[in-house]
Amino acid sequence: MLDLPTTPLKSLLNERLPGHSLPAPFYLSPDVFAADMEHIFAKHWIYVGVEPDVPEPGDVAIFDIGQYSIAVVRDDDGEVRAFHNVCRHRGARLVTEEKTTVGNLVCRYHSWTYDLTGALIHADHMGPTFKRSCHGLKPVHIRSLEGLLFVCLADEPPADFDEMARRMGPYIAPHNVRNTKVAYQHDLIEPGNWKLTMENNRECYHCGTNHPELTVPLFAYGFGFAPEEMDEHDRAQAERYGCLVNTNHAAWEAAGLPSREIDELDTMVTGFRTERLPLDGDGESHTLDTKAACRKLLGDLPSAKLGGLSFWTQPNSWHHFLADHIVTFSVLPLDAERSLLRTKWLVHKDAVEGVDYDLENLIGVWMATNQQDSDLVGLCQHGARSPAYQPGPYSPNTEMLVDKFVTWYCGRMAAHVGR
Amino acid sequence: MDALAQQKEPAAVRLDAPAAWDAEADDALVCRAVRAETHDVKTFVFAAREPRRFAHQPGQFLTFAFEIGGETVHRCYTISSAPTRPDTVAITVKRVPGGPVSNWLHDAVKPGSVVRAVGPMGDFSCFAHPARKYLLLSGGSGVTPMMAMARTFHDLAEPRDVAFVHSARTPADIVFRDELERMARRDASFRFTAVCEADAAEEAWGGFRGRLTLPMLELIAPDWRTREVFVCGPAPYMTAVKAMLAGAGFDMARHHEESFDFAALSPADTEAVEAAEAELDAAPTVRTFRVEFAKTKRAIDCPEDSTVLDAARKQGVRLPSSCAKGLCGTCKSKLVSGTVAMKHAGGIRQREIDAGMALLCCSKPTSDLVVDR
Repeated sequence: MLDLPTTPLKSLLNERLPGHSLPAPFYLSPDVFAADMEHIFAKHWIYVGVEPDVPEPGDVAIFDIGQYSIAVVRDDDGEVRAFHNVCRHRGARLVTEEKTTVGNLVCRYHSWTYDLTGALIHADHMGPTFKRSCHGLKPVHIRSLEGLLFVCLADEPPADFDEMARRMGPYIAPHNVRNTKVAYQHDLIEPGNWKLTMENNRECYHCGTNHPELTVPLFAYGFGFAPEEMDEHDRAQAERYGCLVNTNHAAWEAAGLPSREIDELDTMVTGFRTERLPLDGDGESHTLDTKAACRKLLGDLPSAKLGGLSFWTQPNSWHHFLADHIVTFSVLPLDAERSLLRTKWLVHKDAVEGVDYDLENLIGVWMATNQQDSDLVGLCQHGARSPAYQPGPYSPNTEMLVDKFVTWYCGRMAAHVGR
Repeated sequence: MDALAQQKEPAAVRLDAPAAWDAEADDALVCRAVRAETHDVKTFVFAAREPRRFAHQPGQFLTFAFEIGGETVHRCYTISSAPTRPDTVAITVKRVPGGPVSNWLHDAVKPGSVVRAVGPMGDFSCFAHPARKYLLLSGGSGVTPMMAMARTFHDLAEPRDVAFVHSARTPADIVFRDELERMARRDASFRFTAVCEADAAEEAWGGFRGRLTLPMLELIAPDWRTREVFVCGPAPYMTAVKAMLAGAGFDMARHHEESFDFAALSPADTEAVEAAEAELDAAPTVRTFRVEFAKTKRAIDCPEDSTVLDAARKQGVRLPSSCAKGLCGTCKSKLVSGTVAMKHAGGIRQREIDAGMALLCCSKPTSDLVVDR
């Protein structure tokens, strides 16, 4: 119904005031949520996890996107493949554990057996006319961007993934995601629409007053400010940050680490942005003492003082690549008013917990920050339910990336449902 | 791709130019079928464990070592199948009241049973005495070498004139009757005549009655004197036939006989059988291991040449399984203790094997086992 010219969704899209938050139904309506799943999450490249989720042949990881369940496997040639996690017999969920290791993929219901290329290699009692070759697992598009796994549920995924990979690859490669392990994963169900989770992530307007831990390593001014309103102290901080960016970028780029900003958040179908951000204090990592959390540095990185490479993708991820560890975030909608925020902390594959890193120190800043953000998202969700809610203006100085997210979202929705 | 092309039918593998069976390399024969011939006669069809072809001459026999009641018993049995169908080898055995071996064969040997044998041996074969015309005379179980010879010429479509005369107690005791009559209908150069002593309960006998006599033979095959004659049956039968032929002035150089019970083998055959028995006795017997299932508190005996799954099935222990060829992993189990030899087909990861897991459908024990099932 939603794609008829007179649908509420189209009028809602037309109602949207540029530079403003979205009308309430975008955060509340099950119909809009269904359209989000159909047009955003089933048609774009969705970040789900990392190659170290399936480090060895036979490893399987399950990722659920709305009603879809996707099995990501590493096959015997070391290739990562993705299939719909649905048996071709009577549709039973094939793999039931979030992570497991298999010889072949076997449905526990009737033992239909698929090899790691998805071919059905065993099915009892199906008679001589049964064609196994017609009943292989349905593949799902999957791409690895230097170890970050993106899937696309569409028959024809957006073609500009290659461009993103070409431009982003050199930024990420030095951190060698493939040579890491998942030191910790945390799933947090945020009490809000996925777009509120994303909007919250795309600004640091709220950081100073809400994130005492995160703003130890992170400069809140890295994401914009209104200079005319700042006092002497703040202006000095902002200037120091500006100098840091210039000198560090020059130094890092000279050392072979691409650092300068690329921003295609609302200019590509597969929107993304990156920049290597200087860190405060010792400048090493997202920790409370701003020093590296892990003794073993990633890749062949020469020093811990490399700031943090940040990478954002539309519609559902952000990542921070430090010299000593990586934090990746994926947002997976659960329903109109709940979203799963999945955070993974990656360290060097050979790093030993308790020897090379202390887990609490490694995850402390973002565990605290995620909970604070979740609470803020809950406040917004709650407010959006009030009849008094009315879209408000984004700050032109600190919420440009929020605006780009919403602009991208509305553009992509309009591309699929029309305006 | 077609399903046929994807996966080879297991039986097809057996036909892929297998090597000849060599009892010195593997004397184990696996029973693949047991077929009832009459009310008290069964044919036991054997194959080698790996695909192999049997090469023998029609009329030759195998020497077996059967494990009966904890003892090794040797017996010779003529091969009743023809070498023209070389993928299996069959013996045909009449149940003898009180006979320990024939009764054991009838009662205990089933598809899947493993017996040990060496051979083939013996020179009682039409191939050893080439002729244009044959007279095959058999009594009772002495039919087996004659059957092998008749089947061979029939399968080869060789233009041999064969007169097959079989003496039985009643029509119900004529072994291979259907097949012999069918060969006779289809092949003009093959004639089959049965001689019965009495009627059967279900069938009054209208053919030659009593014991084989010279006048009968003159009627059945008036040219019998021109034929190469093979005789096999109980001792009194063979003695009577020999006397009858000699008395009729037959050239006894063309008379060949063999006792169906191998009581009186030729000196050469006796030597061969003794050597075969020694070989069978020297061969290592199949070891058997104890397999305990920890959760169900059952235990089975598993021969070293059997998979744990097969042994469990035979002994009534149910285990989850599906493909039974190491592919699907349904039978994957933790080995609490013990070791196995496993030939899987991708259903298990080396990491799982390293962690003590095994696929029971393709694991043969190499020690006693405790399985967490």
